[in-house]
Amino acid sequence: MISQIDRFLVFMSMNEIPNKKQEILINQFYKNDESFSLDELLFNEDLSSIFLEDELKTLRKNYDGQQLDGTIENMLNSGIKILTVFSEDFPKSLYGLSDRPLILYAKGDVSLLKGKCFSVVGTRMPTSYGKIITEKFVKKLVQGGLTIVSGLCFGIDEIAHRTTLEMSGKTIAIIGSGFSHIYPSTNVNLAKQIAEKGLILSEYPPSFLAKKYTFPRRNRIIAGVSMGILIPEAGIKSGTMHTKEYALEYGKDIFAVPGNVVSNKSELPNMLIKTAQAECVLSADDILEFYGLNCQKRPEQNKYIELSFDEQMIINLLKNEERSFDFLAKETKIPVNILNSCLTTLEIRGLIKKLPAQKFCLT
Amino acid sequence: MLSKVLGFGLIGIDGFPVQIETDMIGGIPNIEIVGLGDTAVKEAKERVKSGIRNSGLEFPVKHYTVNLAPADVKKEGPCFDLGIAVGILSASQQIKIKKYKNFVFIGELSLDGSLKKVRGVLPMLISARTMGYNKFIIPEENAEEARYIDGIDIYALSNLKDTVDFLNDEKEIKPLEVKSFDEAVNAEENTLDFENVKGQAQAKRALEIAAAGGHNVLMIGPPGSGKSMLAKCFPGILPDLTFEEALEVTKIHSVAGELDLKKGIISKRPFRSPHHTTTSVSMTGGGNKTKPGEFSMAHNGVLFLDEFPEYSKQMIETLRQPLEDGKITVSRLNQTITYPSNFTLIASMNPCPCGYYGSTDRECKCSPVQIHKYLSRISGPIMDRIDIQVEVDNVKFSELNSTEKEESSVEIKKRVNKARKIQLERFKNSKNYSNAKMTVPQMKKFCQLSPDCTQLMEQAFNSLKLSARAHDRILKVARTIADLDGEIDIKPQHIAEAISYRGLDRKYWSI
Repeated sequence: MISQIDRFLVFMSMNEIPNKKQEILINQFYKNDESFSLDELLFNEDLSSIFLEDELKTLRKNYDGQQLDGTIENMLNSGIKILTVFSEDFPKSLYGLSDRPLILYAKGDVSLLKGKCFSVVGTRMPTSYGKIITEKFVKKLVQGGLTIVSGLCFGIDEIAHRTTLEMSGKTIAIIGSGFSHIYPSTNVNLAKQIAEKGLILSEYPPSFLAKKYTFPRRNRIIAGVSMGILIPEAGIKSGTMHTKEYALEYGKDIFAVPGNVVSNKSELPNMLIKTAQAECVLSADDILEFYGLNCQKRPEQNKYIELSFDEQMIINLLKNEERSFDFLAKETKIPVNILNSCLTTLEIRGLIKKLPAQKFCLT
Repeated sequence: MLSKVLGFGLIGIDGFPVQIETDMIGGIPNIEIVGLGDTAVKEAKERVKSGIRNSGLEFPVKHYTVNLAPADVKKEGPCFDLGIAVGILSASQQIKIKKYKNFVFIGELSLDGSLKKVRGVLPMLISARTMGYNKFIIPEENAEEARYIDGIDIYALSNLKDTVDFLNDEKEIKPLEVKSFDEAVNAEENTLDFENVKGQAQAKRALEIAAAGGHNVLMIGPPGSGKSMLAKCFPGILPDLTFEEALEVTKIHSVAGELDLKKGIISKRPFRSPHHTTTSVSMTGGGNKTKPGEFSMAHNGVLFLDEFPEYSKQMIETLRQPLEDGKITVSRLNQTITYPSNFTLIASMNPCPCGYYGSTDRECKCSPVQIHKYLSRISGPIMDRIDIQVEVDNVKFSELNSTEKEESSVEIKKRVNKARKIQLERFKNSKNYSNAKMTVPQMKKFCQLSPDCTQLMEQAFNSLKLSARAHDRILKVARTIADLDGEIDIKPQHIAEAISYRGLDRKYWSI
């Protein structure tokens, strides 16, 4: 059975009552669960000092005790857990924040919140460089035992989640909409996987449709639950800027990967490094070391063993930058059919990566 | 007086015999044409009347009833004019001897009595020959397309007067001389050659494989990367048409009325590139006057669909039947017709609406949702039927200017022909003739993998995240690559190369 205060918070979140007003209500009326009842509270005359008359009217009109209980039961039955500031599972890291969420809807393993959460956030449209380093960093971070937190959006978010799942690591997605309206819709399947193997969190009730402001707001939870954030690639005017602001406010560690100075996708990380707001990291080991985590700083093994002459030639050409197929064909003079099969073999062995438009780079 | 004359009509791309019966009786002067003819058939009476008079012959003022039997099959077009005229002339005793009974008459009459070309002469002749008819009179303008059929006597005449004189044995005319098909093939030359395409090594190789194995190809690349040019060069490396194939192609083009009358036969594989605003009816064929559509016009050749996602969803889906069965069946109000449409599909598309996703030259301005929507316009079942997906990028200026000589189409064609020969041998006793059309049991038989290959395939599926549908495609393409190499067994390097043509199945494509 759900407690009275949880019931109250669900009702408030469903009616989109601002957190500040909810805090006031709790401070004023909540002493313990026995003496607290939503029915009584709604018809308390003191409410008129907190709500406008119209607001109060609709609130009272919307209230239907039985319906509310039904909705809550449906949620619980469909595997949604309700975490409120009063429940034990509520992440401690969010508890003290000035603009803390009062309720979190969760799907999946809530115990992940007790682990070492670390968020990886960035642009929705990464360059190939961004994609590669995100994958590389996340792999190492997962090996180091971190839980990867991100926002289930396109680009860096998606790569972070997918890579973690591939590594059978733990991941948390914090979304800016209700569970029934995952945005972007292309990630619905990803969301399902995360709910099974990780955790999805939302401040909003399941039926809630995403709004423009909800995405920046969920960023504060991303920043809040994690001990640090990594920004592989992001523009200066992106949502990541919000996450960074929140992280600074909450005193979290910020890590940025330096990038190409003329690429606008690397603007934010480069700027953060320049202004010393972020720690400059060149590999995931730097982050793990920062937290004193077990990072095996083995000297890197030579991956390029047992290569044929042709393959070695290709690897040598790719060492400095990404190259196109035609360039490789021309420089190595390998016949096209052999070159094709060499490249595929190298890719299967994980030594090179194929990029869009017939380009290749080392992993 | 009653007379019976033979004509020929068209259903789809096949001819059928039409008995033209003319009865001359007294009464109010008129010509009545019955037998389910369209407007062109009904209007024949005016052309016939003037045609006979202007040829210096007599048109007795009588009532004529002309019946086109069988009476329940719809007849289209002016090809019965000549038969009707001959019928009237023999009914009125102006053609005296019975020689005309052995002939099949095909032709349209002009008011001055001259014979005009009609469409579909070749398919009519071919059908008639198999039915046992062996003497024909056709318009002189259609002579070239008829020349390649041997074993029958074809007389190409220019006007009605000559026809009557010939039938009355007053003038001697020789049947058409048969021309050999080889002469026509040698007369053709390709204007576009792969040696003029700089760079794009991978795309060229992919097209070579496609030509050898009959695989369908999708080219993905930014605007201006040369996709269309590559596609246009493609017919040049396709194996030569055989005579049977050429006849089939010519038949279809003759029915559509798109035959070059000077050349007669089509000796080059057709290359059709319909614009993306083309309606699905003109793609599939049919319409009011049933005509073959673009799919059939590309029979035994190449159908090039530029900017593939821009075609309407409905049109893209209609591709399923021709790609699967090599023919297309259209049902219209009057009839159901099956046209052959066994073509190689070459499609090209941009990777995103703006065209520059992944390009080094310009930054892509599309949102991930836009790109996703753009790509999802081509459904899975269609993608399933495209074996080779190849990416094409812009060519650098230095490459454009390089003096290095590229391989010419002739040399590529040699290899293609060699690989085709192996396939013809392999599929000797079955219906298909190319690796692309292999059935499942055939694949089990001809695409057996060694342990090495199986292991490679497994690794590829795990590390490159290929989708399940890629499996069969890779096997078929690997088979063709092995054929190009002249190998009996599929080797790991063939599998590896085949995998490189599955770009769209790869993970990176989903952003």
